Amino acid sequence: MRVSTLGFQTDASNQMQSLEAEITQTQTELSTGIALQNAADNPAAMAQVTQLNAQISASKQYQTNGSALNSNLQIEEQSLSDATTTMQSARDLAVEANNAALTPSQRQDISTQLQQLLQQMVSTANSTDSNGNFLFSGETNTTQPFSQTGSSVAYNGSTSVSQVQISSNQRISSGDSGANVFMNIPGGNGTFTTAVGAANTGTATIDTGTVTNASQWVPDTYTITFTDATDYTVTNSAGPVTSGTYTSPGTITFNGISTTVTGTPAAGDTFTVAPAGTSSAFSTISNLITALNNPNLSSAQLTSQVGTTLEQMDAAVSNFSNVSASVGARINAITASGTTATASQTAMTGQVTSLQDVDYAAATTQLSTQELALQAAQESYASIAKMSLFSYLQ
Amino acid sequence: MADLLSTSVSGLIAFQNALSVTSNNVANVSTPGYSVETPDFTAEPGESTGVGYFGTGVQISNVTRSYSELLATQMRTSQSSYSNFNTYATTAAQVDNMLSDTTTGLSAQLQGFSNSLQTLANSPTLAASGTAVLSAAQSLTQSVQGYATQLSSIDQNVEGQITSNVQEINTLASNIATVNGQIAQISGSGQSPNSLLDQRDQLINQLSQYVSVNTATQSDGTLDVFVGNGQSLVTGGTAQTLTTIPNQYNPTQFDVGLTTVGTSGAPVDITGAISGGSLGGLIAVRSQVIDPTLNSLGQISVGIANIVNQQQAAGLTQSGTQGQPLFAVGGVQVSPSSNNTGTAQVTATRTNLSALTGDSYTLADNGGTWQLTDNTSQQTILMGGTGTAIDPFTAAGVSIVVNGTANSGDSYLVEPTATAAAGFSVLLTSPTQIASAAAVQTGAASANTGTGTIAAATVTDPTNANLLTPTSIVFTSPTQYQINGTAYTYTPGAAISSANGWTTSISGTPAAGDTFTVGSNAGNVGDNSNLFAMIDGLNANSLNGGTTSLTGATSSLLSQVGAQTQQAQSNASAQQAVNTSATDAVNNLSGVNLDEEAANMVKYQQAYQACAQMIQASTTMFNTLITALQTA
Repeated sequence: MRVSTLGFQTDASNQMQSLEAEITQTQTELSTGIALQNAADNPAAMAQVTQLNAQISASKQYQTNGSALNSNLQIEEQSLSDATTTMQSARDLAVEANNAALTPSQRQDISTQLQQLLQQMVSTANSTDSNGNFLFSGETNTTQPFSQTGSSVAYNGSTSVSQVQISSNQRISSGDSGANVFMNIPGGNGTFTTAVGAANTGTATIDTGTVTNASQWVPDTYTITFTDATDYTVTNSAGPVTSGTYTSPGTITFNGISTTVTGTPAAGDTFTVAPAGTSSAFSTISNLITALNNPNLSSAQLTSQVGTTLEQMDAAVSNFSNVSASVGARINAITASGTTATASQTAMTGQVTSLQDVDYAAATTQLSTQELALQAAQESYASIAKMSLFSYLQ
Repeated sequence: MADLLSTSVSGLIAFQNALSVTSNNVANVSTPGYSVETPDFTAEPGESTGVGYFGTGVQISNVTRSYSELLATQMRTSQSSYSNFNTYATTAAQVDNMLSDTTTGLSAQLQGFSNSLQTLANSPTLAASGTAVLSAAQSLTQSVQGYATQLSSIDQNVEGQITSNVQEINTLASNIATVNGQIAQISGSGQSPNSLLDQRDQLINQLSQYVSVNTATQSDGTLDVFVGNGQSLVTGGTAQTLTTIPNQYNPTQFDVGLTTVGTSGAPVDITGAISGGSLGGLIAVRSQVIDPTLNSLGQISVGIANIVNQQQAAGLTQSGTQGQPLFAVGGVQVSPSSNNTGTAQVTATRTNLSALTGDSYTLADNGGTWQLTDNTSQQTILMGGTGTAIDPFTAAGVSIVVNGTANSGDSYLVEPTATAAAGFSVLLTSPTQIASAAAVQTGAASANTGTGTIAAATVTDPTNANLLTPTSIVFTSPTQYQINGTAYTYTPGAAISSANGWTTSISGTPAAGDTFTVGSNAGNVGDNSNLFAMIDGLNANSLNGGTTSLTGATSSLLSQVGAQTQQAQSNASAQQAVNTSATDAVNNLSGVNLDEEAANMVKYQQAYQACAQMIQASTTMFNTLITALQTA
């Protein structure tokens, strides 16, 4: 086979150039550490890498969101704890007040202390977060939620609360509305209250009752009337509801609720079951203050007021505790999603590395192979190019 | 007369000529396109004598050039293919390189903008977070505009290359024609004008780099040259001229035209007939990579702008006013053809984000009826409407209005997203202009006794003038409610739509007398629900008929360009190997081998010396004869 001189030289030169180009490419990979320089190197891998990077970035953002919210939730938990302490101090004072032998100045004393506790409660309810925004004002968080005029406290905030995204599929409430925490505290068992008729002559008492089937409950005031010691009827605003016989202790059930009467009722005794109203933590305290400041209040009325107040204070503490539990649950959710996020970021970063980074061992080996090939090409060209018949002819 | 002297002299002359052929070969060892020449020795006719035929020597009848048309054609074909793919790959690689940044590329910018919205949602009243949103938006738009600018300059580069390629082709064509003429003159004599043939072949080889080439040999020795899909370029001694003509819709883009010699009319557009070579590669990369990339970038920009701007209008800023558009984006580009004779004006706007594609369209008047064709698939697209301002044509996510009168044959290029990216910018300047809160809030009256709850309102028409007007939903019974005096039946969970441009729903069991209110959300500065709506909108599958999200589109643009570049690069590489082996085959047949020439040189030298010796012998014989006669 015939070989042209020019062809041989051109081919050798081209081969050396292509080897040099390959060496340059390998060198670039080694010095940048990235094997995937352009999408053309591996389009599918490049698309995956950009998506993974976006997901990692989003995950970090969610962690940032979560930790910002976390510090606010910690402050809220502290505030709820403070409110609980304040309310419990007020409760102690209320128990103290339930003493017929107190002198007016002693009552005044208790009233003054209660006044201070009320102010403390308002101040706690108006606390702010790390950005200076109000914790309990809902979405209108630049507006102070609670304002006190005399002994009444009004809520000026919003009932809706904004959300924070802590993971790709979780948005949680950023706080709690002051209305839910301090204002609309449900009385009784949350659905209805029970009361002993004021004119009762028998010795029976009624418990707070429970809801057995919430969908059957019809909000209304029900009167349980004992026609004699063993028979009763239940009526509401629309007429008779049910009736039955009674032995002590006896459970009376109707419209999805049940309540237990214990003791011996007299004929004509009544017990009322009414929809639970709401009370505010502030009015609970201020009502007692008003009563204590009333010089004409009889001891029986004071006892009745204290009874109501204690019930409401317990309900308030229970409400604070519920809210606190939900705050705790949210803090846990943030911690959990933060841990998951860290783990998944690590996994995704690992994937990115495996897709785009250079395998140094393989690349270094490849470089020395290519260098060897270039060296061989150069040496062989140098020795072959010298050979020519002309140099042997004289 | 057949005698020693003249026979030997003929040999001397022949071998001297042969040596000059050899020396010519040696001198041209590095000349590109040179075909090695071989002297053809032919014995001189013999003379008849009484004792037999005696030969009269040798002559060189012709100098033959080693050449194979087949091998040359194979080399040109692979050269054209390689050139085609290589040019395509080089330009596509520029686009690929531009998009392939994993840390600051489009995908990262989009995520950065979404992240900034999240940070603002954590505390909507924080001015620093609002400023961060605007600067993330700036970064995003500058990045996109940067791509559009780069694509434009890559395109200008391509146009420049097209122009210079066409000029090169013209130069080569006219040179081939000149050489054809010279060859035709000499061919009549029976000798082959080797150097002219080499020159012509070399010119055609060079031409094959620019465009694919076919040749046809004529009886007078001239070669007719055809380029592309059979377009005639050189016929005998006449060459056609190619020109670059401005595209009928876009004067900055060049098409290839042919001016036939002897005619004075406008050049004929032969762009469709050009294939192969670097010119074919440039034309292909423009329509397959550069234009679609610009369109896709535009589609993504339109998506971002539409989603964010619509959500801005559906929300309230910190000062309680409905949000203004955050992004500006380029509009639909409608370009009339330069060949149009009518007076129609065509304008178009985008109306449906999900129906937008990355294609361009041609709107043409076909004998009085307007027809819309997709330029990529060449399919006719059905249009709704009649083209008037009150009833525009609707198709492919745009609506088109035609004013004035067109003549049959008039056409317009409609590009829904091509200029969107270049016009992508941020309009808002202050963080207080970001509409973080929902526009409409819902609430239940605190005196309600039932268990009904009202859901958050969704804005369905941000442009409704009564959007923020307060509305009360009053329950007259647990199963009936009234809005502004009109009674409706209550179904828990069912949608309640208002003529004011919002919807909501009520669930649970309301009691008679319960009231629910829907009204302006102004003052609720801590509300971030509109920001989440914006974030959700950006993450949703908003493009291509609800199948692709913005990040999906970004990702697939990147991998599409990557795949096209990769394919072109691997095709180029394969063709290069084919071309190398075809070139080797040509060189091995037609190239000069110095060792061979050295051996020939020795051969002819020895033969020359031998002939000289014969002459010496003849001289000796003559002298002997003369001496013998003198002494007698």
